[in-house]
Order: sequence, then structure tokens, then C-alpha cells
Amino acid sequence: MNIIGSTPLLLILLLLLSSFTLPFLKNPIKFSLPVLGALTILSWIHGLLFIGGEEYTIQAGHFEAPFGIMLRVTAVEIAIGLLFMTITTLVIWFSASQFHREVGKSQQKTFLILVHLLVASLLGIVYTQDLFNGYVFIEVSTLAACGIIVVKNKADNIKAAVKYLILSSLGSGLILMGIAYLYALTGYLDMTFIHEALIPIASEKSRMILISMVLFMTGAGIKSALFPLHIWLPDAHTAAPGASSALLSGLVIKAPAIYFLKICVLVYGYEMINQTAFLQLVLLFSGTGMIVGSLFARSQKTLKRMIAYSSVAQMGYIFFGIGLGTPAGMAIAVYHMIGHGVTKATLFLLASTFIDKLGKKDSASLKGVGREMPFEMAIFSLCGFSMVGIPILPGFISKWNLALATIETGQVWLLAIILVSSVLNAAYYFPITINGFFSEEDGIKPNNNPVAKVPLGILTVLLVMIGLLSGPILSLIEKALI
Amino acid sequence: MTILFDNFIEVASIILFAIGFTTLLVHNNLIKKIIGLNIMDTSIFLYFISIGYIDGAHAPIFTEGVTNYVNPVPSGLMLTGIVVAVSITAFALALIIRLHSIYGTLELDEIMKIREDGI
Repeated sequence: MNIIGSTPLLLILLLLLSSFTLPFLKNPIKFSLPVLGALTILSWIHGLLFIGGEEYTIQAGHFEAPFGIMLRVTAVEIAIGLLFMTITTLVIWFSASQFHREVGKSQQKTFLILVHLLVASLLGIVYTQDLFNGYVFIEVSTLAACGIIVVKNKADNIKAAVKYLILSSLGSGLILMGIAYLYALTGYLDMTFIHEALIPIASEKSRMILISMVLFMTGAGIKSALFPLHIWLPDAHTAAPGASSALLSGLVIKAPAIYFLKICVLVYGYEMINQTAFLQLVLLFSGTGMIVGSLFARSQKTLKRMIAYSSVAQMGYIFFGIGLGTPAGMAIAVYHMIGHGVTKATLFLLASTFIDKLGKKDSASLKGVGREMPFEMAIFSLCGFSMVGIPILPGFISKWNLALATIETGQVWLLAIILVSSVLNAAYYFPITINGFFSEEDGIKPNNNPVAKVPLGILTVLLVMIGLLSGPILSLIEKALI
Repeated sequence: MTILFDNFIEVASIILFAIGFTTLLVHNNLIKKIIGLNIMDTSIFLYFISIGYIDGAHAPIFTEGVTNYVNPVPSGLMLTGIVVAVSITAFALALIIRLHSIYGTLELDEIMKIREDGI
């Protein structure tokens, strides 16, 4: 196999290696940023060369599929992998000038080590075709994610991290139990082999299969903040420093969702998930999450907490797409992960910039800030517009296609949930923009800490591009999911 | 009833899982939560290893004249699982020590009360 083809494996290995090199360096950011940048460029080259190509697997050891671990490379994995690499690089680039003010210079090295570890494990979850391998990577990502919350040594952070760690371990326990059920039924851990072994026994062992589905849903749901299991998310994402929140909200909660999506598509297959009541359960939870998450977000006073609750609502959209149980629905779930990943990372970076500049945490203090910082406020508004669903931006595309896919499945009444949720989104993102630009009151004078504008600009361009190129992206993803 | 006795390992592991799960959710004491977590993990290890166990079979080491071996894959997986559980426990305990040094208590409800009074 050529070197470009094995990029996914290389990315994971190099990120792990570089994370273990970082502790010995004097100036870690000068090493970390070029490494992340180079790997991002490598993954873009790999992604662009792949377009239109056939899906393939990479053997990550000496043994073939049922015994060894395989990495699966299709348009879905590549798209999510690109998202993870690009966002991480831009967040680290942005935070290079800001992070030490928030947390302190000494913690930056720990933060970077954990980020490298985190991205490696997230890419592992995305690419792996082995259930147990995915579980191990999920655990590594949990530990690293808790680590980047507690780099800021405050009581709030430690409490949030304990809550996150305990609930998250509960989730991974459930996932492991699900794997145990499937292993007892089939004797395989590789997703495609389990699928083939499940087909002949599907009707005979339907109860055990349903139990394993629910275990996976609850486990991944806790880790991805599916509505009633989201209680850890607002605390963790609010307490964490800005760059960590951007990574946590943009990337970390997406990884278990894509693992769950891969289990639905590859392990069970469309036929099996549509035969059970399991998808109705997913739709019920995600539908309530879309509305209740937005309602909670509306009632928050602090800016970061509002954005964190908005993540709960947006994860609802992703699970809603999965819950539709059609290739179109799954493709929108993946597309929404990409769109939301970029938007939410940008929003958290901007929120931490505003807090850094103004020294206040509540959204009311943003009055008139648009005149002092027009560039930042404009990007914030653009991201808000995407969340609400203004045409061309990714948020609109996913809502539109989600609505179309919903009509296709014949559950037209579910459209009401999408509409109500969009209106609620508008109710909490628009006031900030209006206050920011048109408020007559004089805001607090911001201090002149430097802000890295280039990464923000790139994020904005990415956001618009994802919206503009939605047609080809969606068709590529959907082709890989059939 | 006979089904329960025939699959006593599975039944025992499910009961242990339920005990761990409720301990984790119901108790306010953080150390007890961690104990519950460990009971839950151990029950899964028990279940997993029992899948690969064959009564009367030999350890999976190649020897002359032995044809029936126990399936080594679940044991190998659970070794990894144990490592994961230990690292999670260690990290959680380290965080709990920090919480204790800040609030002076391990009870979650008392911590919440202190935080509300403080603000």
C-alpha cells in the first residue's frame, strides 16, 4: 500500500508519538503547531486524492480482519477526520496567543500533550472497524478530555471533570456490555464480520440484539450528550478554558456519535435497525433534546453556558438524523457533525475572546461590543445565523435536508420539532447580535490583548465553504453510507 | 428457573452489574461512586471471560496432544479492559482528593450546598 493511502494510520501513530515527545521540549507550542499543521495538510492531500475513489481498509497489525484490527477508510471517515485535524490545528493556533493568559504558561505543555493524545484517540474512534478498539480509544479520549478541563486549576473545573468522568465511565461500561453481548452472539469484534454473523440469527435472537442496541445508544448517548443524559455537558464546557471548550464541544462529543452511527450502519445494517422500535427511542430522545436544549439555552445568563446548552440541542439534530434510519438521514447526521463542529468551535473561541477582553462572563455585557470589535462580532453573528438556519450556511442546509429526509420516511409530524427548534435558536442567538451591534448603551472598553485573527478567518471561510459545497459533500457521504 | 441455574455466571454478572450501576447512581459519596463503577466494570469482565471459557479445556498454550483450548481472545480483551478501568479509577481518585482539599467533604450534596452558599 502506498504512503498516502495509509495516512489515517500514520496520523494516529504520529500524533501519539508527538504527544510523548512534547514533555521533553522547552517550547512545546513551537513543536506542536508545525506538527499539527503538517498532519492537517497531509490529511487534506489524502482526502482530496480520495474523492471519487473506492473505499478500502488498512490492516493495523500482522493479522487479517476477524483477528486483527482494521481501519476503514470511506468518505465519511475522511470527512470527519479532516474536520478533527483542521479544527484542532486552528484552535491551537488561535489559543497560542491567548491560552497562557487564561490558564498560565506552565499548564500549556500539559494542555498540548493532552490535545495530541485526544486527537489521536478521536481519529482512532472515527477510523476503526473493530468494536473493542473503538472502546479503548473512547476511554483514552475521555481521560484526555477530562485532562483538558482540569488544566485550569479551579474548583469549578475539578467538580465538572469529576462529574464528566463518572458519567462517562458509566457510558463506556454500557458500551462494553453491548460489545460483550455482540461477542457472545457472534464471536467476532470486527464490524463487518459481526454483521454477516448477525443476519442468519437476526429473527431468532432479536431480543438480545435489541438489548445490545439500547446499550450502545445509552452509552454513546451519555458520551455525546443525547438529551436526558446531557447533565455533565454544561458544567464541563462552561468551566473549561476557551480552547478546551472549543475542542470539547466541536470534536469530543462528535466521536461517540460517529461510533454509534458506524455501529448502526455497519454492525446492524438498515434492515435490522428499522425492524425494531429502537429508532423510535432515538427519535424521541433527540426530538426532545432539540427543543428542551434550546429552551435551556435561552434561559442562560452566561455566554458560554448558553453556547454549551445549544450544543445539547445540536447533538439532538445529529441523533435525529441517525434515528431516521435511512442513508439520507445518516448522511445529514455526518454533515451536521461537520457543520456544527466548525461553528461551535468558532463560537467558543469567540466567547472566550469576549470574556478575555471584557472581563465579564454574562451575555448582557456584550452590549455595544460590535463597535469595538467588529470583526469578531461579525463572525459571531455569522455562526449564530448558521445555527438558526439562514440559507447558504451549513445550519440551513442540514435543517433543510433533515426536513426532506423526514418527509421521505413519512413521519411528517416530526417537521414541527425542526421548526420549533429553529425558532428557539433564533430567540437566543439574535439578541446577542442585535445587542452587540445596535445597542445604544456604551459597553465596557475592552483591553487590547492581541487576538489571532487569521485562524478565525480560516474558520469562517471553512464555514461558508461547507455551506456552498454542501451538494457534493452530501452526495459523497451518502454514497459511502448506502 | 433451570435457565437461571444453567447460566449462573451470566446471572451473577448481571446482578453485579445492577449493584454497581445503582451504587454509582444512588450514592452521594464520591468514593462509593468509584466503588460502584469498579463493581460494574468487574461484572462486565466476568461476563466477557465466561464467554470464552470452555469447561475442561486447556489454557491456550500449545502443548503436544492437546486439542481443546479455551478461547484466549476475551481474556486478552479484558486485560486491556482492566488497564482502562484502573487508569480511570486512578484519575478519578486524584480528582476526588483535589475536591476534598478544596471543600473538605466527599459528599456531593454537601459540595453543592457549599457552592450555593458561597455564591
